[in-house]
Amino acid sequence: MQMTDRRFVAILLLPAGLFLSAFVAYPLFLLLRDSLFEVSIYAPTEGVFVGLDNYAKALTSKRVLESAGRTLNYTLIALIAEFVLGFGAALLFHALGDRSELLRTIFAFPLMIPPIVAGLLWRFMLIDNIGIVNHLLETLGIIADSSDISWLGDRDLVLFSVALPNIWLTTSFVALVLYTGLQNIPEELVEAAKIDGAGAWHMFLRVILPLLRPVIAVVLIIRGIDAARAFDMIWIQTEGGPRFASEILSIHIYRNMIRYGNVGEASAIATLFMFSMVIVSAAVFFTIWGRGTSQS
Amino acid sequence: MAERTTLLILVTLIVVIYVFPYAFLVSTSLKPPADALAIPPTILPQRISLENYSNIATFPSVQQSFGNSLIIALLSSLITISLAVPAAYAVARFASLAGKIFLLAVLITRLIPPVSVGIPLFAIMRSLGLTDTHIGVALAHSTISVPLAIWLLASFMESIPRELEEAARVDGCSRFGALFRIIIPVAAGGIAVTSVFVFLASWNEFLFALLLSSTSVKTAPIAIAEFRTQYGIQWGTMTSLSVLFSFPVIIFSLLMQKRIVAGMTMGAVKG
Repeated sequence: MQMTDRRFVAILLLPAGLFLSAFVAYPLFLLLRDSLFEVSIYAPTEGVFVGLDNYAKALTSKRVLESAGRTLNYTLIALIAEFVLGFGAALLFHALGDRSELLRTIFAFPLMIPPIVAGLLWRFMLIDNIGIVNHLLETLGIIADSSDISWLGDRDLVLFSVALPNIWLTTSFVALVLYTGLQNIPEELVEAAKIDGAGAWHMFLRVILPLLRPVIAVVLIIRGIDAARAFDMIWIQTEGGPRFASEILSIHIYRNMIRYGNVGEASAIATLFMFSMVIVSAAVFFTIWGRGTSQS
Repeated sequence: MAERTTLLILVTLIVVIYVFPYAFLVSTSLKPPADALAIPPTILPQRISLENYSNIATFPSVQQSFGNSLIIALLSSLITISLAVPAAYAVARFASLAGKIFLLAVLITRLIPPVSVGIPLFAIMRSLGLTDTHIGVALAHSTISVPLAIWLLASFMESIPRELEEAARVDGCSRFGALFRIIIPVAAGGIAVTSVFVFLASWNEFLFALLLSSTSVKTAPIAIAEFRTQYGIQWGTMTSLSVLFSFPVIIFSLLMQKRIVAGMTMGAVKG
């Protein structure tokens, strides 16, 4: 006897469904539950129900709010830099046409460098006195002495410095995706705009940018999510220091949980973090992508 | 023509500057250990030395961590592919409500900050007795990879003509027979590419490995990260370890250049 489509689909989805329920959905349920308890990592079964206390604590804690602000700043720094540099590179590659193939291959190189290696490498290059970055800046005459900029020690600068490896690693990703998008723009549209007398700037704003809108939406969302969730690259460079100046939410949550053992509070912050991510991503998605499709 | 040449030179220059940090890493790893922190720093080695590489031999725990990373990445690939292939087939071939809900759920998992899942996952693994085991870390890594793999494999499978299965079914092949004898062999290329992605995701992963491996199954990223605190900062050895650790990744990524973009966007933009 033949089984129905429904039954067959159910059997096919079952293993992955069970796995994701057990190791993603169930942990999220535990996270929600723990966020309502005062519970220590050292005695996980002896929690005391405290209702929304953990949320109230999280939302009034200066340190939590500051790290939320830093998460936003870090994400914006990384996203803007990657997008501007990546878009620039994509346009240059596009202008070069087929001759850019070898260059694109080399440019894609940092794409798969392990984040931990990127973090370490930049930490090494940014060492105050003897790092190559300050040495090159000194050689070029941009700074007077190689100890002038303390990239990872200056509290006002560190959030930018820890974004550098992130920017370095993913600019090529942004560039390659946008390059693919540019290549997919129909030749006729560009030609038609040229015949209508469109200048380069006009062409970019009125023809290329609107056509790339869905691709841009995908890039911004994917990169934004990844930057906001960043942990390893910052951890390896500063562990959130100096004095919390590079402590973004994921590092704060980790430290609160592992170092201080506050499972309840860490869970409440993690829950808030997660919901903010979903809301912001959905908002960006519908603003950029939704508008693009309703126009066309 | 002159304009094009200028453009070519400009772009070449940008690419060279862009790749410079990694070249500097490799160059530093080939210097004698003390030169890693020479004042002033030099870009090229004054003298080629493999001492940074031979020094690794004096840290057996670090060597062992490479083995752990390999075992965990292979296990995670195995778990992920066996779960994702049937699910992706269901999503790609049957326009069912369950499939759509599944796909949406898979997309949402990508929005979850790993640290949110990581904390309770640690508790679950502990109650299962799986903390500090290869399988425990591999399962944790699979929570990241399964959604990615389903997404990627579904797009590969959608491009397989339906006629192939229909012909097999007419010839008396069962539904599972069609999946195993027709779809899986035809999609073998896509499955291989997906496996490489899953392998690399596990190889590079840091946070779950940090939470779930304390001593015996410590992965290479954790060992490299802790290397600095345990022995003071030995930048020379650190650079050679970094080169060795990133080497397999770079080989893979050069081999699959075109697929990388598709993989990283989960197929949303065809690369």
